[in-house]
Amino acid sequence: MSYSQFRLEEIETVLGITFAKTVGLFANIPEVEYSDLLKEILRYNIPLALEINSEKARSEMIISPILIEIKKQLSEQISLFSGKEFNVDTEKRLNGVCDFLISLSPEQLFIKSPVFALVEAKNDNLQSGLGQCMAELVAAQLFNNRQNNRIKTIYGAVTTGTNWKFMKLEGQVIEIDLDEYFLNNVGKLIGILRSGIEANITPNIPLKP
Amino acid sequence: MSYVQFTIEQIKNDWGIALSEQVGIFADSPEVSYSNWLAETLQYNIPLALAIATEKARSEMIVAPILIELKKQYSELPTDWVKSD
Repeated sequence: MSYSQFRLEEIETVLGITFAKTVGLFANIPEVEYSDLLKEILRYNIPLALEINSEKARSEMIISPILIEIKKQLSEQISLFSGKEFNVDTEKRLNGVCDFLISLSPEQLFIKSPVFALVEAKNDNLQSGLGQCMAELVAAQLFNNRQNNRIKTIYGAVTTGTNWKFMKLEGQVIEIDLDEYFLNNVGKLIGILRSGIEANITPNIPLKP
Repeated sequence: MSYVQFTIEQIKNDWGIALSEQVGIFADSPEVSYSNWLAETLQYNIPLALAIATEKARSEMIVAPILIELKKQYSELPTDWVKSD
């Protein structure tokens, strides 16, 4: 059993989470500038990944370069994980491999303070990844509570690379944006990703090393 | 059955492929220069992928950029490069 096997209804019935649906939850977050290197990478990679049209190509050529750009922009404040095991609670079935996790800690060797979970959509279908993403958010919350990490809100996204669906977990409520955001506005995607991370950075209090 | 389940014995016995082991078959291939894009990408990505230490991170951050560079280098060749021998 692992994150990917969670069905959406089980998030409510098994994990006791309530859903709130909002249109445009992240719509007002401003776009963020990004490097010429990422522009050059995406200009070449996007048509190639769309022609190959596999989940693996989309991860390698679109999602991964965008997340690396975010790590560069936030430098030593965050760490990025890809395909890493994140076993939190076997009894609750909160274990398995996470596609991408961003951690609010400079520690790059292991997951210390998860703040953003990103799931690669299967078969080009965002809906199919919602249960998986939500289960990872609940696991991250449980993990942070155990470690006494100061992460109030955990953010999540399901993405095909071209379409992105964002959500956040606070307390026992997952608020999901019914709108999707698109790769034709990379600055907006980076803005939303950064806003989730930065919402958890407390000014003037240094992060735990 | 899929590719990952094949053993070397099966390749030899079931398909009749002969294996000849030699040292350094590709050692004399000359080096080729590569773009600043790849140099910059690998400079950042290699330590990151090694720290994450998963197959997925190595694929995304090291293998894929090298193969994309290869594809770019071929697309810059004249279109009749295959015949020009």
